[in-house]
Amino acid sequence: MLSIKDNKSRKLEAALAEQLKKDLDGQIENEDELFVLAEYDEAAGEKTGYSNYSYWRSTLQVFLKNKVAVSLLIVLALLLAFTFIQPHLPGQYPANLINNNPQTGKQLSNVPPSLTTVMVTVPAGTQLNAAPVKNAEGWYAADNVIESLKARTKFDVIEYGEQWCRIEYKGKTGYVKNNFQTKLKLPDDPTAVPYESRSNFKLEMYMQPVDYTNNGTSLYVEGSYLTLHDDGTATAASDAPLRVLPSENAFWFGTNNIGQDLWARVWSGTRTSLAIGFIVAFFEAIIGITVGVLWGYVRKLDRILTEVYNVLDNIPNTIILILISYILRPGFGTLVFAMCLTCWLGMARFIRNQIVIIRDRDYNLASRCLGTGTAKIIVKNLLPYLVSVIMLRLALSIPSAIGNEVFITYIGLGLPVDMPSLGNLINEGRKLVTSETLRYQLIFPAIVLSVVTISFYIIGNAFADAADPKNHV
Amino acid sequence: MLKYSLKRLSSSLLTLLIIISVVFVLLRQMPIEGYFDNFEKADAAMIQAKLNQLGLNDPIPVQLWNFLKDLVHGDLGTSARYSVGAPISGLIAKKAPLSMKLGVLSMGLALLMGIPLGAAMARKKGGFWDKFGTIYIVFINAVPAAVYHIFIQLYGTSFLGIPMLFDENNLITWILPVFSMALGNTAYYAMWLRRYMVDEMNKDYVRLARAKGVSGPNIMMKHVLRNAFVPMIQYIPTSLLYTVCGSIYIESLYSIPGMGGLLVDVIGRQDNPMVQAIVMIYSCIGIVGLLLGDLLMGVIDPRISFVKKEGAR
Repeated sequence: MLSIKDNKSRKLEAALAEQLKKDLDGQIENEDELFVLAEYDEAAGEKTGYSNYSYWRSTLQVFLKNKVAVSLLIVLALLLAFTFIQPHLPGQYPANLINNNPQTGKQLSNVPPSLTTVMVTVPAGTQLNAAPVKNAEGWYAADNVIESLKARTKFDVIEYGEQWCRIEYKGKTGYVKNNFQTKLKLPDDPTAVPYESRSNFKLEMYMQPVDYTNNGTSLYVEGSYLTLHDDGTATAASDAPLRVLPSENAFWFGTNNIGQDLWARVWSGTRTSLAIGFIVAFFEAIIGITVGVLWGYVRKLDRILTEVYNVLDNIPNTIILILISYILRPGFGTLVFAMCLTCWLGMARFIRNQIVIIRDRDYNLASRCLGTGTAKIIVKNLLPYLVSVIMLRLALSIPSAIGNEVFITYIGLGLPVDMPSLGNLINEGRKLVTSETLRYQLIFPAIVLSVVTISFYIIGNAFADAADPKNHV
Repeated sequence: MLKYSLKRLSSSLLTLLIIISVVFVLLRQMPIEGYFDNFEKADAAMIQAKLNQLGLNDPIPVQLWNFLKDLVHGDLGTSARYSVGAPISGLIAKKAPLSMKLGVLSMGLALLMGIPLGAAMARKKGGFWDKFGTIYIVFINAVPAAVYHIFIQLYGTSFLGIPMLFDENNLITWILPVFSMALGNTAYYAMWLRRYMVDEMNKDYVRLARAKGVSGPNIMMKHVLRNAFVPMIQYIPTSLLYTVCGSIYIESLYSIPGMGGLLVDVIGRQDNPMVQAIVMIYSCIGIVGLLLGDLLMGVIDPRISFVKKEGAR
């Protein structure tokens, strides 16, 4: 089936062919003018016959007029630069680093996206437990848990509340949560305090009726916010932010289910996907142009290559992609190889058709008679006519290569998870869409992916319009 | 015409034969685990016995010949892992009708949406519909299908308040899969129809019709649209067959028990014979679609001559 790539390149092809014809036929557009005596025209006399029309300058001018395309080009360039700069910025987590809570060693899984890692800010004067964190200068692990009570520990409730109960246990008073998870045992009349109670689950006894922990593990705070006491407790000297990690660097896009930083993964994935796109486009150019030139220029090869093309073109591309990825070991090389196997077909056919058309034009015959070598004729006389369409096809093949990568990953033959790409990030995110709170894991890579592909697409199309001589002044 | 058809048919058959052979030979290079349902437990003797039984120790040309012989009888082999020992043709015959129903529906929807859109776009260049259609086409072509399909499923189901997964007996769950499958083809038809209509509109006979005083809508419907539709017809069998085959994305997203979802399943389970069969069916469908398109084009448009093809010398 023909794609939109073909739509645009056919249009451009037709326009270029027309231009070529016009150039070759000379400027005679109106035959009547040949037979009309011209009056002396000073302006015409001043004209030196030199026209400062330059194809590429006009193309550039028309392209620059398209504001959307130019701004997308800038966005894309910045994005591309950023994917390379990002790992070197301060405070970035490596894409494959599994972030653990330094105290419990548990993975920080599915931390929601946030610009800071601050979970909660503690008002000044709050009592906290604080212990210095190993390997992290000036950071303290802080929480307000007095004691963890084992399941079925008995204690006295001295003040009953809907959410928090004030309790006494071994001479200490503190608060426990009173909700469906803790399931405190209630007497017949819960307002008749004090009464003896227990829970069938493990309970935390807090200093204040607030939970300053991250699901039971300590949060982190910089020492400068605390006034430390000798017994291991501390008082917040000013409003103190408690963080997920002993670091101010946030997980801007959150973390995935094994605690990897999604921000780093998205950029690393963009890098991989763009690399796939560019490599495939590069090979499309190399193979497509070589085969196309041979096919068009060498008459003996024409029949064979046409037959080969007919066979290959009949097979759906998707099938080749699936087949190759299935047979070979999944990985970057396999993907690129599978895409390169088919991507050059359209390019080769286009080059061949164009070369057949212009190969025997008079100027090429003249060149040949003058003894110009075949290689030189191809490079100097033939290819320059095709540059704009080649560039259009390349610009459009980058987003389609990226899309193919997503597809192959989707059916389970893509890159391994430790090599993030936009495809496998989306695929990982897709599995979590049923949970509304985890959708960010799909949405962030999807947005970046869409921005990249749409930009390439629009830039490619704008370029095609700009390269069309009809649009030149 | 007959001569052309025969030639076209024979070249399609040849292509088909080449593709089947290549797929077959390539899949012989796969690890043999894909032929066993319990490879880890089997000992060497059992493995050898099974390989002999399946004929996998024969030289590849012999295997290919046997496979082709079976194929002519409609036997695609038996599944190794997906549904152990079941004949593949039976498995696929069970799945195909559903894919076909969905495909035909979505194809119809795509034609219903795509042709008016394309016509509206061509009618007033730079008008609202032209801009809308262009944005739509760019979006559908640029954004990978996986992304918008997922989002349609996600927000469509919660917006309409319908179940996320497909249920054959619950008609309301058919809406989103059919709609999503139609999106791509809609953009495709709209894009090409607009292009062909704009080409037609610049022709002299349209100017003549206008000079004669034929009304605008009449010109569009009776002349431009009809002529512009002829080149489109070529692609309809292909797109129909592709859609029938079931969009791989849609079927696995909505858990539709069709052929596209089946492919994803058997790839996940590394069931070599099944992958081989489905890949062959897909390529077959592609070839048949192109063949039908070319033949249909010849039947419909008598101006097309088959003596000298484009670009031939």
